Amino acid sequence: MLSVLRGGRVIDPVHHRDAVGDVWVEDERVIAPPDAGRVPDVVHDVAGAIVVAGGIDIHSHIAGANVNTARLLLPELRGNDFAAVPMAREIGRLYARMGFTTVVEPAISPEVALQAQIELAAIPFIDKAILTVIGNEDFLLSLLRDGESDAAIADYAGRTLAGSAGLGIKVINPGGAAAFKENVRAFGLDDVVPRYGVSSRAIVQAMQKAVVALGIPHPVHLHCNNLGLPGNVETALATIEAAGDLPLHLAHLQFYAYGREGPRGFSSAAPQLSEALARHPRITADVGQVMFGQTVTISSDVLRQFNGRRGGRPRKYAIMEGEGNGVGIVPYRYRRTDFFNAVQWAAGLELFLLNADPWRLFFTTDHPNGAPFTAYPDMFALLMSQSVREQWITTVPAEAMAVSTLPSIKREYTWPEIAIMTRSAPAWLLGLDDRGHLGPGARADIAVYRPGGDIAATFRSAELVLKSGVVVIRKGEVVETVHGRVLTVRPDFDQAIERRLAAYHDAVYGVPHTVFDVPAATFTDRLERVPCRS
Amino acid sequence: MPEAAIGERAATLAEATREAAALLQRSRFPVIAGLATDIAGAEGAVALAETVRGAIDHVHAAAVLSNFGVMHEAGWMIVTPREARARADVVLLVGAGLGSFLEAAALEQPLTIGVERGRHVIRLGGEASNAADLPAMLASLRALVAGKSIAGATQSLEAMAKTLNEAGYGVAVWNAVMLDPLAIEMVCGLVDDLNARTRFAGLPVAAACNGAGVMQAIGWHTGLPMRTGFGRGRPEHDLWRFDASRLVESGEADAAVWVGGLDADVPLWIGKVPTVALAAPDTRFAAAPIRINVGRPAIDHDAVLFDARLGVLAASPARAASKLPRAADVLRGITLALASPC
Repeated sequence: MLSVLRGGRVIDPVHHRDAVGDVWVEDERVIAPPDAGRVPDVVHDVAGAIVVAGGIDIHSHIAGANVNTARLLLPELRGNDFAAVPMAREIGRLYARMGFTTVVEPAISPEVALQAQIELAAIPFIDKAILTVIGNEDFLLSLLRDGESDAAIADYAGRTLAGSAGLGIKVINPGGAAAFKENVRAFGLDDVVPRYGVSSRAIVQAMQKAVVALGIPHPVHLHCNNLGLPGNVETALATIEAAGDLPLHLAHLQFYAYGREGPRGFSSAAPQLSEALARHPRITADVGQVMFGQTVTISSDVLRQFNGRRGGRPRKYAIMEGEGNGVGIVPYRYRRTDFFNAVQWAAGLELFLLNADPWRLFFTTDHPNGAPFTAYPDMFALLMSQSVREQWITTVPAEAMAVSTLPSIKREYTWPEIAIMTRSAPAWLLGLDDRGHLGPGARADIAVYRPGGDIAATFRSAELVLKSGVVVIRKGEVVETVHGRVLTVRPDFDQAIERRLAAYHDAVYGVPHTVFDVPAATFTDRLERVPCRS
Repeated sequence: MPEAAIGERAATLAEATREAAALLQRSRFPVIAGLATDIAGAEGAVALAETVRGAIDHVHAAAVLSNFGVMHEAGWMIVTPREARARADVVLLVGAGLGSFLEAAALEQPLTIGVERGRHVIRLGGEASNAADLPAMLASLRALVAGKSIAGATQSLEAMAKTLNEAGYGVAVWNAVMLDPLAIEMVCGLVDDLNARTRFAGLPVAAACNGAGVMQAIGWHTGLPMRTGFGRGRPEHDLWRFDASRLVESGEADAAVWVGGLDADVPLWIGKVPTVALAAPDTRFAAAPIRINVGRPAIDHDAVLFDARLGVLAASPARAASKLPRAADVLRGITLALASPC
């Protein structure tokens, strides 16, 4: 089927395109404009609208036992504009209507990968992927303690990724969960896990090397130590230094943008962080913006969640410990009138607005930890309009604005910058060569927005969304339901690790290590392999 | 062996599917019960319940929802059986009904991580004692753990409190079938108290017949656990209102679909309302107008089930694969037949 989106402002930073023109689609792909003789079967008149590739969200908790437990923890909040944990089918629809076509679930421990993949299969419209969590297991920490080779560590990481059908490696407060089992209650970059004598820094660096050795396109995706603590900008800065010359992606950086300035000993340190990002070109980060309202925190940083469990709003929690990282679920309400929450909100915006390189800073709320992803339209408005920001600033405590540079920032994001940050750059960061752009050969994941006076409304309800060439959304409503693909990598590793893992799991847990592998039959959606780099 | 039966006579699966759809079409408020099935079967049951605007319940809902209720009201901190097996130097067994789990989870075997520690297994309440005494014992234990002196503290309770407080990584195990929700909440409170000083976690034994798995599956489709109704076009959860046996006994439900396959006792209310029974061939029913033979998950066909030993959903291959249809496929067939009644 041949179709054309005619006359829109086509913004494709990968191909240096920002002009009124046409985008041609044949079946599932974007094609070069065909010969004059070919007549399209469908013409979409998008004059006056913006045409971009479908959005790509690199960090959003949408599936798995952790997310599902959060759903079950808070059924009483459903329906009251509580979009923190929608049902599986709603997640797909809500993303699609905002023009997003690929979403990455960033934290799945290997032993719960099967449930995550089954839940992802129930989410329509979007392409999806998981990041596999390692870094706190006895097996890995023992390898590091015993001075095993980089190759053995890479084999373990590669094999674990393969069994869970992940797209990349996620590391969460490395060593922290293991230390917590030994009754340690705080864990920083240079703290050492009892029993193993391994530091958090050593785990991060070992994982960076493994990812490079395995050729996995996505860098180590790191949730640093000391999340949420006043003064933790020091942890983020030290982690950036520790990364050295190897790539590293820092998750939800806003939660590490805190200084100790001002009368309440809590301030935004976003300018310092932003400046460090600028000086370290191998570092990428997603913001994890806080927005006001009721949400729930879902995190495999079990130590952090344990420490914060009494601060839940409503006041309850669910904490599960497992083989490596566990999970903690703590409901939370960010209040506009709360000094601390207002500083958090400002810090995230500062990170966005002070950033010079839209290819290295990514648009997220760490859904739902900072806010549900349904807050994205309001976030776009805040980034693209200083007057919208000024209105919001009048509604938050002045003392919070006094410890942030936000009120002084005049910058407004442009459409091309939004396109880079939410389309071109995420595709590059994940190793997806045929997404995030509109060149010939691209998967026809396309979003069309009609700008009006209200920026948030523009992004809340896309005018037209195509998924693999099929029109799925028109004026924010579902036209046709489709299912996407599951994106994975399959790095090479030495099969000798299988024997080691088999012996280990038998001895320590009394179960075969293969029992957690996701069987091929699980994938009712098509599995798409993203090539590793050699 | 016939695929199905309608009344006394043998029938094909296709015939029985059409009859089942017709039966449900005639009913005002059906209940989809049993749900002793795998994840795919649970998903199929949710889809059917939504289509017929009925209710959905699980044969062991009471036990599953006792645990769920404690988590939902107060919160909890738990650990997987595997990690408990590897690491727990103190295992506190609370109440009865833990024998077979103890063995399956190897909780009386030596530790495998932190082997320098020995394992102490201690029992509070148990097969011989009176379950009604348990809340009082737990209250005393919590007070002793917190360092308070109480009247009537026995030497054994004091010793128990000392052991708990000195645990490196302790685990409190219980079976929700044998404990009432308040006692479970107290165990979870004790675990929380102990974490002020040392490390401790709870370990609820998973309900039989994939109860925990079915709850997860209903959860990701509806945001709610079992005992949920779709009568108003959106899911609503109520522990009392959507109890299948109560719905049938009271007459609020006028039809039922029993989904079996795993080893569940067929309840007495089957046959009180027109019922479609999906069951393994050797299951006996007193009276079910429509009966369809389905495979046993992980025996006749591969299946994803909550594994009590692992504490997660796991895929199990078929141990003795057969041609019996999956409950999930039969449920889908009925749902489709309802969508196009011809």
